[in-house]
Amino acid sequence: MKKILLLFIFLLGHGAWAQTTTPSKREVIGRDIGQLKGIKISGRIIDEITGEALVGATVSVPELDLTRITDNNGAFELSLDRSEYNLQFRYVGYETIDYPITAVGDGRMSIRMIQEDFQLDDVVIFGRDPEKNIRSTDMGAITLSMNTMRELPPFMGEIDIVRSLATLPGVSQVGEASSGLNVRGGGVDQNLIQFGGAPIYNPSHMFGLFTAFNADVVNDVTLYKAVVPAKYGGRSSAILDILPKTGGVSKWGGDLMVSNYSGKLSLNGPLIKDKVSILGGFRISYINWFLQTLSNPTVKNSNANFYDGNLIISAPLSDKNEFTYSYYTSYDDFAFASDTTISWKNTAHSLQWKSKLSSKLSLEALGYYSLYDYGIFNLSGINDFEIKSDIADLGGKVFLGYQLSSTGKVVFGGEFKQVNIQPGELIPSGTEDILPKKVQDEAGREAAVHFQHEFEVGEKFGFSYGLRYDTYQYLGPRVVRQYEENEPVSDGSAIGETNYEDGEVIQTYGGLGPRASIRYSLSKASSIKLGYNKMYQFIHLISNTATIAPSDVWKLSDTFIEPQIADQYSLGFYNNFKGNIFETSIEVYYKDLQNVVEYKDGATLIMQNHIETELIPAEGQAYGVELYVKKNLGRLTGWVSYTYSRSLRRVITAYEEENINDGEWYASNFDKPHDLTLIGNYKVSTNTSISATFAYSTGRPVTFPEAKFEYSGNNLAYFDSRNQQRLPDFHRLDFAVNFKFKGEGRFFDGNWTFSLLNVYGRKNPFSIYFDDAAGAPPQALRLAILGVPLPSLSYAIKF
Amino acid sequence: MLRRLIHILLLIPIACIDPYEVEVPEGKELLSVDGLIHTGQGPHAITISRSTTYGSQFEGLIRPVSGATVVVRDNEGMVTFLEEGQEARGSYFTPTGFRAQVGKSYTLQIQTTEGRVYTSLPERVNAVPEIEAITMKTVTVPVEGETNPRSGIQLISEINDPADQNNFYFWRSGRATYLQETYPELYIIRPAKIPAPKACCNFCYITEPGSNQSLFIAQDDSFNGLSTRIPAAFIKDDGRRFIFKYRMELRQYSISQEAYRFLRLIKQQAEISGSIFDPPPATIRGNIISLDNPDEEVLGYFIAAGETTKEIYIDRAELSFRQNKVTIPDDCLTLPGASLIPPVDWKP
Repeated sequence: MKKILLLFIFLLGHGAWAQTTTPSKREVIGRDIGQLKGIKISGRIIDEITGEALVGATVSVPELDLTRITDNNGAFELSLDRSEYNLQFRYVGYETIDYPITAVGDGRMSIRMIQEDFQLDDVVIFGRDPEKNIRSTDMGAITLSMNTMRELPPFMGEIDIVRSLATLPGVSQVGEASSGLNVRGGGVDQNLIQFGGAPIYNPSHMFGLFTAFNADVVNDVTLYKAVVPAKYGGRSSAILDILPKTGGVSKWGGDLMVSNYSGKLSLNGPLIKDKVSILGGFRISYINWFLQTLSNPTVKNSNANFYDGNLIISAPLSDKNEFTYSYYTSYDDFAFASDTTISWKNTAHSLQWKSKLSSKLSLEALGYYSLYDYGIFNLSGINDFEIKSDIADLGGKVFLGYQLSSTGKVVFGGEFKQVNIQPGELIPSGTEDILPKKVQDEAGREAAVHFQHEFEVGEKFGFSYGLRYDTYQYLGPRVVRQYEENEPVSDGSAIGETNYEDGEVIQTYGGLGPRASIRYSLSKASSIKLGYNKMYQFIHLISNTATIAPSDVWKLSDTFIEPQIADQYSLGFYNNFKGNIFETSIEVYYKDLQNVVEYKDGATLIMQNHIETELIPAEGQAYGVELYVKKNLGRLTGWVSYTYSRSLRRVITAYEEENINDGEWYASNFDKPHDLTLIGNYKVSTNTSISATFAYSTGRPVTFPEAKFEYSGNNLAYFDSRNQQRLPDFHRLDFAVNFKFKGEGRFFDGNWTFSLLNVYGRKNPFSIYFDDAAGAPPQALRLAILGVPLPSLSYAIKF
Repeated sequence: MLRRLIHILLLIPIACIDPYEVEVPEGKELLSVDGLIHTGQGPHAITISRSTTYGSQFEGLIRPVSGATVVVRDNEGMVTFLEEGQEARGSYFTPTGFRAQVGKSYTLQIQTTEGRVYTSLPERVNAVPEIEAITMKTVTVPVEGETNPRSGIQLISEINDPADQNNFYFWRSGRATYLQETYPELYIIRPAKIPAPKACCNFCYITEPGSNQSLFIAQDDSFNGLSTRIPAAFIKDDGRRFIFKYRMELRQYSISQEAYRFLRLIKQQAEISGSIFDPPPATIRGNIISLDNPDEEVLGYFIAAGETTKEIYIDRAELSFRQNKVTIPDDCLTLPGASLIPPVDWKP
């Protein structure tokens, strides 16, 4: 306790925010040719030991009140006048370096930072830049570093990126086994999840219980939930950008982790010393092995496997050019009592080139290919078949950034992608009893150009505005039906068909998506921001479940299904206290969604050739207020986030019988008005920390039967209006203890983490359903995914 | 299939399913109709009842709608009156000799004692392809915590699907008969446990009425024009049925596309498991409307179908897995549906 107090005094007295190394001698930088102004000092920050570039490290010049963040190469650039400066280099998890210099001419610096010793008493969970939340014009952009996520209790034994994000305000998940995120009232398909720039369609293993991303190969994760920079587009709610790590260029190292569910290993080092680095990671579950040890015959014949792997090759050819290749794959298969197997797989390749064309102009180009496929294998002995489906994205983006001044920046560029979907093919296996069937393939092209300008006017105002034009074409070959004008679209109202040739444009959509935000600084530590955002989405998740299922069908916009459009308005107040130890914010937003896809009652979505007959367009509305208080520093760190929000849908069509809930607004599947998360991490001693998460939210909407009726000897439920009741409230406490053993080569050195999910064993219902099983009255049953306290133990070492 | 994730989760064991008390809205009393007329032998039944609050019968009893006037009218204006069963209130039966005819359309008309009039949309009767053969397969389902799995037989209908039309199939299990052995000599008077051997009878033929509870339906999307095999019934092995010889009549119907969609929704709901991949609850709309008030919600479906039937005899040897024989220490004639002589058409 005394230590904390001392630290506080130290912090208040110095206004600094972390321990620093002892000041070194003032260094003279640059060749002195008598230059007085516009001195360019560039540099690169790397890890002292591994030589890895430190991406997102902070360089600050207190004299000019200036802060720069290193780019993906760990590089930075400063424009200074001839003077003395006390530079400071900071990076999460590393010791801060004070670096007094005298700038006399253009020059270069090379900074080697040392990983913070475990003996430090305080934990720092800053993102990239402590004041970024106040000073930037970004709204609703949250970057979580791996170090931050490490402070949370692990889920199923490890860091779960998606779940970590769900602890933030405005971000939620449907339940305990659910993939994907609901961001500010949007559906799971309205987020673009990209790994190394390539889109990923299924971000989880085992139907949402395990993360599909290996935390050891991830550098950080950024979620844009409000004003999305113009360079991102294609989805209407949010962008989740996962940035992989790169390996060290000078030395080999790695991470190993084993838990009671899965194990992972990653290795990184120089492929060519000081030139090309490689990072490889592999993660595998041994649940299957665990299942085999159980005596139950059903379980013995069941299967649950997953793995994921990464390969990242990075070639910083010079300080000016860097190539990075990233490969990602994740695979799952699952079988129950061995007659039906389902397997799914993500694969993503991306190649990125970053170049500094001049001191002011930088270029980034990226090409990617991403493939998601799944198969369902029925080997029951009768009419054996398999169903296969896949979705492939091939695309590229390029953008140029131009630094106008120390605070002004322009980014412009374009992107293009081709999406091919094979919605489903049924292949009979070894039987002539059933026919092969194939749902028509789909193809679409998306292209966009964008422009973004950021600048400051005086101390008080910061502006950022951007414009993006998205265009989309739906392409042949395809047979497209026509339907009777004044009838609902159904098999019965089809009146004809048109054949489109390969590559022929069937339908074109497009639109302007402006984004803008204004920041007004009330003081150095507080600001108000206002933002607006419009986004288009040309691909839809055709699902009538609330979560991402492996067999979900993705559908491109076509003649019948128009692109989704989201308009979002947000207003925020941000205030940091006590030298950025406390970070607080209040944001309010209103979002309007058009052409959200809803399904008709009892729709058949799998292997459906005329899916337009099963869908109806809906409009959506979401609004909320988000409160956030975060303590960044000290023995106790963590945050409180509370969101009050609503997410509503409405379906009004020209045909009364197709309206849902009589055309009234109703709660979406993931409408959870109150959502509270408390997270704390307490450093008990040098080597021990404990962490806990408490989450509370309103139960999600469900549909209860309005009556019971009898048909064919079954007692059946009659449902009328959707989502009129709610599940009981959700709350859960998770807890973890972390021990770090640090010694010389002893076997158990490393990080031991014990966690207990659902400490008090609450049976939070994932769903309540109604069943008329033989021998019991028709009744409501509760399914709890995590119905018991669930312990896990993991052991991790870094070498 | 996907819902089986839950079973795995239940076994790991993390997840759990348990009964849960919920406030269910007070039930609406909606007219619901369950009726099927077909080309086979009658009488065909139309059952009319009123829906009630969801839950056990203490919360709401499904009441039959008695005393209604029920007629079936064909597209040529021919009207057939149905008569309410003496025993089965709310069930209305076609007169002897009535059969639906292929190619004709039928509508059901109901007038309740309150004078409200309801009608179905017309249903057209399509010809039904024959059952070429019935084959069987033993099915076992492991049960948690027990060494013996549950088991039964699946009946598979072999059909030659006509290529020139869209066919929708529906199967019902007809009457079944099997030979049953009991042990009257082991009879004990309970609860005193006094042995009181009976002299008769050891062997009876047990006849069970057909069951409609499990819904077997198919559409020829995936087998149009093929000769194919479709699971059409499941008979649970209760330790009695498959000891000697078992006979069942399989009934195969051709139904309309709309009826198929209705039955698919019923089946979907009956099989719901609460898993994360369950389809959400769907409003099951039928083909009955109120003529007095078009906005009145009416439940159920009136089906008019072509029927074909076939019998199968199953010998114990054909099962690859059997439940242990249930020993009944009593006269076999005390069992429901028992008779000492086989049915006249018993030709194993």
